[in-house]
Amino acid sequence: MNLVQSSHEIIDHASEVRLRIRAASMSELLAEAGRALAKLQLRESGGTPVPKRRDIEVSASDSAALLAEWLNELIFLSETEAWVPVQFEVTRATETSAKVRASGMSLDRVSGLVKAATLHGLRVDGIPGGLEGEVILDV
Amino acid sequence: MTTETIRSSYPVRVVSPLVREIPVTSRADMQVPVRIYADDELWSQIASDRSVEQCVNVATLPGVTGHVYAMPDVHEGYGFPVGGVAATRAKDGVISPGGVGYDINCGVRLLGSGLQLDEARAKLEPVVHDLSRSIPSGPGRNPRLDLRAEELDQVLDRGCRFMVECGLAAAEDLETIEAEGSLPGAEARQVSSKAKQRGHHQLGTIGSGNHFVEVQVVDQVFEPDTAEAYGLRQGQLTVLIHTGSRGLGHQVCTDYVRQMDQVMALYRISLPDRQLACAPLESPPGQAYFGAMCAAANFAWANRQAITESARAVFRRAFGDAGRLRVVYDVAHNIAKLEEHGGALLCVHRKGATRAFGPANRETPERYRAVGQPVFIPGSMGTASYVLAGNDAALDLSFGSTCHGAGRAMSRGEAKRARTGAEVRRELEDKGIIVRCPSSGELAEEAPSAYKDVERVVDVVHRAGLARKVVRLRPVGVIKG
Repeated sequence: MNLVQSSHEIIDHASEVRLRIRAASMSELLAEAGRALAKLQLRESGGTPVPKRRDIEVSASDSAALLAEWLNELIFLSETEAWVPVQFEVTRATETSAKVRASGMSLDRVSGLVKAATLHGLRVDGIPGGLEGEVILDV
Repeated sequence: MTTETIRSSYPVRVVSPLVREIPVTSRADMQVPVRIYADDELWSQIASDRSVEQCVNVATLPGVTGHVYAMPDVHEGYGFPVGGVAATRAKDGVISPGGVGYDINCGVRLLGSGLQLDEARAKLEPVVHDLSRSIPSGPGRNPRLDLRAEELDQVLDRGCRFMVECGLAAAEDLETIEAEGSLPGAEARQVSSKAKQRGHHQLGTIGSGNHFVEVQVVDQVFEPDTAEAYGLRQGQLTVLIHTGSRGLGHQVCTDYVRQMDQVMALYRISLPDRQLACAPLESPPGQAYFGAMCAAANFAWANRQAITESARAVFRRAFGDAGRLRVVYDVAHNIAKLEEHGGALLCVHRKGATRAFGPANRETPERYRAVGQPVFIPGSMGTASYVLAGNDAALDLSFGSTCHGAGRAMSRGEAKRARTGAEVRRELEDKGIIVRCPSSGELAEEAPSAYKDVERVVDVVHRAGLARKVVRLRPVGVIKG
């Protein structure tokens, strides 16, 4: 069986943004979710690549909650440090925890700020060749 | 009485031309019926998204009582719909962070000036420009108001009372702020360090999304005596502030949704939507969230107060003493409050819904006891906003609640595909509205066409007896978050 290529879709929601991610593994799912969030966060503002790297660890009760927890951690960092991670090296990922080395862009002003990853409709399911996750972001 | 079927397949009982009901028998896990306030046109919009199903999900919360209500501006959210009201019994019911939302105490404050539009017109453009320079918008920080840790804790614990001590509020301002801008149950210690990190430099900022500061003019008076009681008159210049608790509130919600999601099994609670995560109000996690939520609400009131002070400075520079701005009222529309209804203490969740207490309620400010509390329903950017007055009858109709705005009719993506930011800016300027917005994309997302017709929404509120129309406000300057 062919493994799923990492991809994401940003889907309309009545008032928020729905993110659908597909990837071959939990590691790649988290990395792809991080890249999708960066696209939303950077939007018009672009940014300046900075050498800063950061190790991020998250844990949760299940794989879907881990996806939300991961995105919420990235949202926290982008708001408090005006730094949007765009590249991810997942050094460890299970269904309930992950350790990631991230590097990213420094911003003067974060545009298109996402406020939170919600638990509404949150899921990570197995699909042929990988995983599919879905999360609604409060924007 | 007739019945209808909607997309979500629940039976709908038509109680009256403006009230529809989803009976409690519609789904096995419902504890109470759902009531929706809408005319036929709004109902067709409401029935086209998932807001009714979300109301039905809310009707399954343990301890929920009476009805779950959907206001005429209701639209699909996550967990609770936006424009939803649900009350749970304080003694054995739950509290749900999702029932308040991420922007805790997002709300609206109206400031009345002593100026008529005609006498201020020549200075309007520089005033709007000065407001946009003085009040940080977008997801930015406030470089002029970075709080030390102990000051932030005081804001969280005491809200606007602390702002008075800091010289950032007049004592009389508190008289016309819901709960005097200071909820007694607030506990700064229940707010995480992450939330405090997000909030400590955000006091006095608008934020992004649909938040704004508008300069408006009273262009129609419906109830002259009540308008006079509120200090409003035809042609008067006003300032409307719409914002909330910023990143601090968002993080409080994130923290406690996660915590409650993890503890629900302990309390044997099972729900159809994970975002409705909750715990008994009287339980340790319920009490911790209540303390943190009240603290975030205090932060939001202090935020609108700090913005008020910035606006006052701008008006003083431009108009001297004539530019004095008085707080007409300040009201939350994302909050859970402990209130007595029908002799029982209830935890009333209002998400995208505004408290609308009448003259007889002791929480209505003293100076408005003859007419009821002011209620603000801002339209979409560039359209009219309304001031209404609370009715005593609304206690039985909606736990004393009404809607909070026009309500979205179009997703953000649809809105951007329909019109560019430049087109929206031109349309507003063609109407004589001065616009300041740093992002064209965000301007397009908040285009008037992306929202329901506020006139229709307000009309339903008025005709249903939830609140009474007092004045209409027309924008002349918009500072978009």
